[in-house]
Amino acid sequence: MTEPILVLRDIEKRFPGVHALRGVRFDVRPGEVHALLGENGAGKSTLIKVISGVYQPDSGTMTLDGQPVQFSSPNDAQRRGIATIYQELGLYPELTVAENIFMGHAPRRRFGPFSLIDWPTMEARARAILTELNIHDMNVRSRVGALNVGNRQRVEIAKALSLNARILIMDEPTAALTEADVEQLFGIVRLLRARGVGIVYISHRLQEVFELADRVTVLRDGSYVDTRPVADVTEGDLINMMVGRTIEDLFPKMPAQIGEVVLEVRDLWREPHTRGVSFHVRAGEIVGIAGLVGSGRSETAQLIFGTLQADRGEILIDGRPVKIRRPADAVAHGIAYVPEDRGQQGLVKAMTLRENSTMAVLSKVSRLGFLQPGKEKIMALEAIQQLGIRATGPEQVVNKLSGGNQQKVVVSKWMASRPRLLIMDEPTRGVDVGAKSEIHRLMSQLAAETGLGILMISSELPEVLGMSDRILVMREGRIVAEFDRAEATQERIAAAMMSSEPLAEKEAAAI
Amino acid sequence: MALQEKSKLQPAPDDGLVVRIRGALLSQEGVLFLILVVSVIVLSLNTDRFLQPSNLLTQARLLVEVGLVALPMTFIIITGGIDLSVGSILGLTAIMIGIGWQTLGLPLELAIVLALAIATLCGFVNGLFIVRVGVPPLIMTLATLALYRGLAQGISEGRSVRGYPEWFTALGQGDFLGLPTQIWFLIVGVIVSWVILARTTFGRTLYAIGNNETGARFSGLNVDRAKLLIYSYSGFMAGLAGWIFVSRVTTTRSDMGSGLELDVIAAVVLGGTSIFGGTGSITGTVIGMVLIQLLKNGLALNGVTQDATIIVIGLVLIFAILVNNFIQGQRQKS
Repeated sequence: MTEPILVLRDIEKRFPGVHALRGVRFDVRPGEVHALLGENGAGKSTLIKVISGVYQPDSGTMTLDGQPVQFSSPNDAQRRGIATIYQELGLYPELTVAENIFMGHAPRRRFGPFSLIDWPTMEARARAILTELNIHDMNVRSRVGALNVGNRQRVEIAKALSLNARILIMDEPTAALTEADVEQLFGIVRLLRARGVGIVYISHRLQEVFELADRVTVLRDGSYVDTRPVADVTEGDLINMMVGRTIEDLFPKMPAQIGEVVLEVRDLWREPHTRGVSFHVRAGEIVGIAGLVGSGRSETAQLIFGTLQADRGEILIDGRPVKIRRPADAVAHGIAYVPEDRGQQGLVKAMTLRENSTMAVLSKVSRLGFLQPGKEKIMALEAIQQLGIRATGPEQVVNKLSGGNQQKVVVSKWMASRPRLLIMDEPTRGVDVGAKSEIHRLMSQLAAETGLGILMISSELPEVLGMSDRILVMREGRIVAEFDRAEATQERIAAAMMSSEPLAEKEAAAI
Repeated sequence: MALQEKSKLQPAPDDGLVVRIRGALLSQEGVLFLILVVSVIVLSLNTDRFLQPSNLLTQARLLVEVGLVALPMTFIIITGGIDLSVGSILGLTAIMIGIGWQTLGLPLELAIVLALAIATLCGFVNGLFIVRVGVPPLIMTLATLALYRGLAQGISEGRSVRGYPEWFTALGQGDFLGLPTQIWFLIVGVIVSWVILARTTFGRTLYAIGNNETGARFSGLNVDRAKLLIYSYSGFMAGLAGWIFVSRVTTTRSDMGSGLELDVIAAVVLGGTSIFGGTGSITGTVIGMVLIQLLKNGLALNGVTQDATIIVIGLVLIFAILVNNFIQGQRQKS
């Protein structure tokens, strides 16, 4: 067995009110993919920030190649061969691929008293690194901002390699990628592993762990649970280790009384993403929308919520046509929207849990425009309790919460508005298994008990199949198929999503 | 309910009085207040005149114009915006009062109302372009800084207006209940603005916009309306300041209020409102404007030249920001 490159022992890290890491150990060997698992808030992010030098541990030891080591900054860790690829990509969109790869360590040449960037060498070396990674279709002079997410990620990996990284930390690298990009990424990860790089891989998708990882370490509530070879564990084992309990029912769909039509959309248009969409949602019904990224699902949802304006078409609430010019109108009509982009759209992260949980219902915690602090606090406490939000209290800044708990805050703020129709755009993206099942249970409960109509957009087919009473499939801005819960299968939905049958002909035939 | 099994609700620790006082002293406003107190003590060491009631009342009188405009400016900066056109709106208001009364022959009362309406409209136009066309506030109000000043100059044709009746100058020069008349406007303005910002849903909306405008919009908050209102409020207050200005100096010139925007922004930023938006308070702004006014006056009384005074004010501004950054940093760590 090869000696580990990096070993962490008994790492402790505390933040005000949170014991983020308690006695955590972790090691990385050359040429392995070591998956790091845990629910949101389990301490994964804190741990990788310790490894990459963003945080210094309060106590515990770190050794690099057997020598005790302390990283004073991310730069320090980088110089010693530890590179991190974060969820939010750290590139400069206005600069070229080559410039990004060599940001901070560009090759130089002397020109009299000046030290200048050696452009030809830089571009040649950038090209060489990309070739090493089996990337042949990228121009090193392209502006990074013009690349898609998958390619930008490749640039980050190339950047890490240009620094001779021996340990590469990948934090949810597939979260924003399309299927094809994921495949390419896996190829690159395997390539790096074969070359002896130690890879720390964080993902919520267990499937990826089984596909890619050699060993897996699980954290729970900041504590170390276990490290096991992937070959020795099952998916059930991992879920047990992560949540400390068995989740029997991943999609707890309850039978609901399906009532009157709450929302109806007639021939909604907004080029290029929404092209003649018509559908309806009934009270108590969960309607799932499947489709590839870019098929127009989110844009259609935003037309209904008023953050985008339709060119034409009709939206009816309870059978009456309504005009929705801005989200405030939608809220007034009882529409709530849990958006896809939690950080930008769902929350005001710099504000407190209390302020966020009441943001959509300020009229309910105020009289004549004056806020009633007591009512607000009660509402925030209710949200914390009902959704099991892990926070130090209502005054905690949302920024400090984990992804799953942030998502619960978004859900709670819309539940407080007592909507008739709830639109959920990727409700469990970037959310750990435990929080996910809680959100699913809540959706089910709301539909069954309060007659809420739910429109759920999801890229996870098991989620769509598990939660929906009815499933719509969107492709190229249109609804191309509709299935009942009973007749829907993963294959049929996937076929409808990805079919290459040209839509124009179909439309012509229909007319 | 199954969802509760993970809830780890901890009751908030009950703040003792000591803890609360300590918290208040270490807050942004608390630190600034201490700087204010220290400045007053230092400035009063060498001169008896500084702390005399008559001097302080005069300073209060001089403070009002910047103070009134600083209130809506606090709102605007909290949303991440800026309004550079306030000085020009003040000038235009002054001209409109003079022209309306003398050239158009309107009753002076009506001329004042008309001028205030125009000032509000000026602010509304700023807001309209910022909201509907999406012009960045800095660019829009920089443009109207020039535009409104140009209008004032064009309309006045460089002439000044004098000879206002005595009742008109009472506002700027007289006293009411023992205080300079105009200070009552500021007191009411401060109270109303403080209540709006700290206690209403509208105030909450402003903070939300400053921290994350998209998030605020997606929460169903009426961002556009809020912005229109605060820029209109800014125009109105600049107009009010213009009226008081004319009344105080009993003359109307088109260059009145030029440079006002910088004094106002300095007071707001000194008061701890982040120029990036999201944080700030009326309390801070009040301390900020008082501090600047007292420094100007105190230094002059200590025989410091006007040029040197500006330098000192700049240094105090930097010092206050450094001290605050340091203390807030320490607080975050603990």
